[in-house]
Amino acid sequence: MEIAANLYLNKIWRIVWYAFLVFFSYLMLLITLQYIPLRTDVAFLRVKEEIADKLYYRVAFFSHVYTGMFILLAGMLQLPAYIRARFPAFHTWCGRVYAYGIILVTGPAGLIMGFYANGGWISKIAFCLLAFLWVAFTYKGVAAAISRNLVVHQNWMYRSYALTLSAISLRLWKWVIVLLFEPRPMDAYHIVSWLGWVGNLLIVEFYIYVRSRERFFGSQSVIPQG
Amino acid sequence: MNVFKSVFILSAIVLLQGCGGNLIKNKDTSQESAKSETLAVNKATAPNQATTNLTVSDTKDILGYWVGMFKPDKNAGYISTGEEDAWNFENKINLSIDQIDNDQVKGHSVVAGNDRPFAGKLTKDGKIFHFSVKEPGDDKYDGAFDFYIIQGDSTLTGTWKANNKINIPNRHYNLKKTIFRYDPNVELDKGNRYIDWVKNKKVSPNDRQYRAAYDVSYFTTTYDLYKYNPSDSLLTVEQVSNLKKADLFILRNSIYARHGYSFKNQQLRAYFDREPWYIPISTDVKSELTDIEKKNIELLMRYEKNAKEYYDVFGRG
Repeated sequence: MEIAANLYLNKIWRIVWYAFLVFFSYLMLLITLQYIPLRTDVAFLRVKEEIADKLYYRVAFFSHVYTGMFILLAGMLQLPAYIRARFPAFHTWCGRVYAYGIILVTGPAGLIMGFYANGGWISKIAFCLLAFLWVAFTYKGVAAAISRNLVVHQNWMYRSYALTLSAISLRLWKWVIVLLFEPRPMDAYHIVSWLGWVGNLLIVEFYIYVRSRERFFGSQSVIPQG
Repeated sequence: MNVFKSVFILSAIVLLQGCGGNLIKNKDTSQESAKSETLAVNKATAPNQATTNLTVSDTKDILGYWVGMFKPDKNAGYISTGEEDAWNFENKINLSIDQIDNDQVKGHSVVAGNDRPFAGKLTKDGKIFHFSVKEPGDDKYDGAFDFYIIQGDSTLTGTWKANNKINIPNRHYNLKKTIFRYDPNVELDKGNRYIDWVKNKKVSPNDRQYRAAYDVSYFTTTYDLYKYNPSDSLLTVEQVSNLKKADLFILRNSIYARHGYSFKNQQLRAYFDREPWYIPISTDVKSELTDIEKKNIELLMRYEKNAKEYYDVFGRG
C-alpha cells in the first residue's frame, strides 16, 4: 500500500514538475519572440544601447536568445526516463543538440554577454561564472556519456540543466522579489544574478545527494526519479 | 557710538524686511526706488520668487506674470492619499498681462495645460485698477476674468466665470507679480512627495473624512529623486538604471517644470504646483530645452519605458 501511495505521489510530482517546465518555457518563448524579426530596439536591448551596436555583442546576444530556446526544449526532452528507455537514439541526438549548443554557441555567447552585463562587477562576475560553469558541467556530462559512465553522466547533466533553467528561475525570482519588496531595479538585478542560478545548483546537489543515498539504501523517498 | 548707531540701523532694516514678506500691502510710494532694486536682486539670485515687495503705482507695473492659485468658489472636494491632502482642485495659474493701451488690455492665462488669450477693458476708479477681460470663447473651458489691483498694493484679486457648464464654473484668486527666469539649478522640495492616486491601489476605503490610504510603494517617489538634477548635469546609465519608476518619471518631468511647462496631467500638476519656484509659462517648452536636458530626457524615457514594461513582470531587468 505504502509503495503504491508513493508511486502515486511520485506521478503527481512529476506532472506538476513538467507542467511547470512547459508553462515557463512557453513564457520564455514569448520573450524570445520579441526579438523576431531581428530587432535591436526592443526589450532588453533598449537598456543595452551602449553596447548593442557592436557587432560581436549582437552576434552573441541573438545566438544566445535563439539557440537558448532550443537548448531549453532539448534539455527538457532528456529528462523523462520513458524517452531514454524507448528511444535511446533520439536521446543521443537530442543530447548532441543540447551539449554542443551550449559548449559551442550559447555558453560562449553567455560569457561575452556576462562580460558586458548591466549592474557592474557584481552581476558581471555572476553571469560570467554562470556561463563558465554551464559549459564546464555540460562538457563533463558529455565526457561521462562518451565513456559510458551513466551515473556520472546523469549527475553532471542534472547540474548543467539546473544552470540552463536559471533562465527561468532568474526571471521568476525577480518577479517574486519585486512583488514582495519592490526594490530598486538594479538592486533586484544584483540579487537575482546570483540567486537565479546558485539556488538551482543547491537544489540539484541535494537531489543528486538523495538519489545517491537511495542507490545505496533503497528507495524510501517520494522525490521523482527523472 | 558710531558702531551702536550702525548696528541699530542695520537691525531696523532687517526687522523691516523680515516683517515685509506678505505684509507689504498699502506700502506707500516713497519706497518706489527700493522696489526696482529688490526686483533686480530677485532676478539675480532667486528666480521665480514672487516679488512680494512690488507695489503697483502705474499701469507699467501691472504688465507681466501674476501667479497664484486658481481656487474653486465652492468646495470641490479633495483627493487625499492618506498621507496628506494631495489635491483640492486648485491649479496654479499664470495670468499674464501683456499689453495695456489706454483702456484696452490684452493678455493670456496659462493654467492646467491650457494657454488662452484674453482681451478686455481697464477702468481706473480712484486708486483701483479694474479689469474686465474675456477669453475668445471657442474653447470648452473659456470664460471671463474680473479682477482688480489697488494702487500701492501688490496683489491682483479677482474672479473667473466659465462660459459653459463645467465641473467648476466659478473660481477666485489672489495673485502676486512674479518674474520668471529659467534656472537649471532649482531643486525639488524634499517635503513634496509624488503619489499617484490613479495607479496606486487604494488599500482602505474612504472614511468619514474622505481620507483614503493607498499602497504607495508601487508608484511613489523616493529619496533617490533628490540625488540627481537632470537639468544641470548629464545623467549616467549607472545612475538611471537603479531608479524606480516614479523617480524616473518625476525627474524627467522636473525638466519641463523648470521651463514652466503647464501640465495637463492632473497628478503632475498637483505635484509641481506645490513647488514654490514653479510657474506655468507655456504649454510647449520643447524649443527651450538645453542639450543636457534633451539627452537626459531621452535616457530617462528609455528607462521609464523599460521600468513600465519589465519591472514587475516575468522577464529580465
